[in-house]
Amino acid sequence: MLFSRRLMLGLAMAGSFASALAFPALAGEGPTEIDLFFPVPVDGKLARDMGTLIKEFNEGHPDIKATAVYTGSYDDTLIKTRAAIKAGKPPSAVIMSANFLLDMQIENELTNLDALIKADGTTKEQFLGQFFPALQGNAVINRSVYGVPFHNSTPLLYINADKAKEAGLDPEKPPQTWAELTDWAKKLTKREGDKVTQWGIAIPCAYDYCGWMMETLTMSNGGRYYNEEFGGEVYYDTPSMLGALTWWNDLIYKHKVHTPGATPGPAVSTSFISGNAAMMMLSTGSLTYVRDNAKFNYKVAFIPHNVRNAVPIGGASLIMPAGLEAEKQKAAWTLIKWMTSPEKSGWWSRATGYFAPNMAAYKTPDMVDFLNKNPDAKTAVEQLDVAKPWFATYKTVPVRKNLEDEVMLVLNGKKQPKEALAAAQKAADETLKPYNAETSLKLP
Amino acid sequence: MDVLKRFSNRFKASLPAYLLLLPSLVFLALFTYGAMGRVLVDALYQRATPKAPVRFVGLDNISAVLADPAFTGAVVNNLVYAVGTAIPSIGLALLFALALARTNAVSSALRAALFLPVLIPMVAASALFMFIFLPNVGLLDYYIGRLLPVLPNWLGDPDVALYAIMIITIWKNAGYYMLFFLAGLQAVPEDVMEAAHLDGAGPYRRLRHIILPELKPTFLFVIVIATLNAVTQVDHVFVMTQGGPSNSTNLVLFYIYQQAVEHYDVGKASAATLLTLAALMGLTALSFRTMANREGGP
Repeated sequence: MLFSRRLMLGLAMAGSFASALAFPALAGEGPTEIDLFFPVPVDGKLARDMGTLIKEFNEGHPDIKATAVYTGSYDDTLIKTRAAIKAGKPPSAVIMSANFLLDMQIENELTNLDALIKADGTTKEQFLGQFFPALQGNAVINRSVYGVPFHNSTPLLYINADKAKEAGLDPEKPPQTWAELTDWAKKLTKREGDKVTQWGIAIPCAYDYCGWMMETLTMSNGGRYYNEEFGGEVYYDTPSMLGALTWWNDLIYKHKVHTPGATPGPAVSTSFISGNAAMMMLSTGSLTYVRDNAKFNYKVAFIPHNVRNAVPIGGASLIMPAGLEAEKQKAAWTLIKWMTSPEKSGWWSRATGYFAPNMAAYKTPDMVDFLNKNPDAKTAVEQLDVAKPWFATYKTVPVRKNLEDEVMLVLNGKKQPKEALAAAQKAADETLKPYNAETSLKLP
Repeated sequence: MDVLKRFSNRFKASLPAYLLLLPSLVFLALFTYGAMGRVLVDALYQRATPKAPVRFVGLDNISAVLADPAFTGAVVNNLVYAVGTAIPSIGLALLFALALARTNAVSSALRAALFLPVLIPMVAASALFMFIFLPNVGLLDYYIGRLLPVLPNWLGDPDVALYAIMIITIWKNAGYYMLFFLAGLQAVPEDVMEAAHLDGAGPYRRLRHIILPELKPTFLFVIVIATLNAVTQVDHVFVMTQGGPSNSTNLVLFYIYQQAVEHYDVGKASAATLLTLAALMGLTALSFRTMANREGGP
């Protein structure tokens, strides 16, 4: 046995292309080699952190050799994963944007994790119970587990505390309702004649971010963005979303406290850091950036509400593509469980600024220590109590874009909220039509 | 019989040439024609619903693309973009080349400076320009903001964004085209210029009647290159706007990317690719034929 393994190793070392292609099964006798695709949505340092994490895993698991493959942004990672699946060489595990899971499941591209959970002797409830309840919606499809939450975020309200004090506002009592926020934004806007030198608030709107902010505002206005149980419906033309978009529109054109037009995320954070915007709504993922760059005192708070406190989650889950060999599946499952364990989850959270999905991570001494030093990181975790899943539908991206294109027209003063949302609904219904044709409208 | 013999003789004579070309032909077939063939096949297939099998649909994908307002919008944007980037960048390139035609220390330094944007990768340049265009706090607003009270949101306003993108292209390509004009100017016959000088032709007349006619082949070549660039260079759209806001900067190549990746619709993406390829090949063939005619043929 040992001899044959050595022989195999020798053969493999000879680097013969042909043998590797002809006898893929024999290669399994060494450590199981698995690939992990990972995106870096925030900044370059994460790639190094991921290298550290995987090295530690390999040292602790001699029978598995995991390789971390950097695959660009969330969108790029989806493209590369799909290309690899099509080429017949799927990666064993992928860190996938949490709202792509449903779309992939509909396309039969995901491994159902139920069997692996059962083989471990745990029930689905026990397994999911480790994670914050808000994160489970994006990991479970039709009552089966398809993803394991890895790093997550929620939107936050960031306040320039110095400017608030200057305007006679108390940053220790941040605005809790839209009315209060509007009032704060008015007091924080400074003008010189026609020219605004300081904006009260900035809310990002570029593809991806815009849909997430619309979901945020709609939820805090009592609404839902989509049908959480079924991927064929979105609720764009509804009073709750109309209220949300009208308020955003009013901040620009009625109260004149928000810069006109669609502003991408980096522009919003730069504007806040430079003092050009006194408040902003942005992901918890930007907290580390703000902490490192703000030359003033800042304060983070929950997203204010009009009807109820509610925000969507963002971030990514670990998934396994469909069609993996049993051995790789097993090895990838070991990796996934290790990466989402309380210690590793907490370590990753401190390195990146995302919050740790595993609740037990917050009981580890390192994390308790970190939160005492950085109380602002606590707000994101507390807000999880009112968080709900991220929108995910059939063809999530085009359906989201159907809304975003119309919202951008509104923010630029080219359309009124009501007609924009009616147009968005119509376009989205059209995009969702093929899926409905084979599900909700496929009748006996 | 005689014909056959002559043919085989000719084949024998050129056999080594074909053998030498073989490696390149293999690679061309694998990576260029193979891919094009695949696109051609993919463009003919489509699935009706997500779980349905892929089936042959003939030209349905092509008509679906032509009926898609996002595609026609992208074509219009692309036309505006092509004309709006080609004319200014070629005009600037010619101006630079004329100003810097004589080689001395100063003009060499200036040429290098004007060529610099070509050396910066488009993605890096776009990332830089994103910060230059930042509303309220960007470099552009910082300087122009002193003159004008209200400035547009450069990349966030659908009326302005395409022009902002065009500025980058012009900035990036003018220096590149300048090289071609500099080379073209070297070919203007010295004696003709001298004769014109002696005949008392002023700078404008020399430009109008000698230099520009001599530069015609260069013009044609640069126009083809500029048009191809307008279709194939969309890095800045990827980085800066993703085709937005509201599809105002969506160009044809980015539309294809969206169909393939976001909509996961390979059939429509392939159909749009075919249409674009056909248009580009037609345009290139036409230009090179015109060029060959003007040159007096090969």
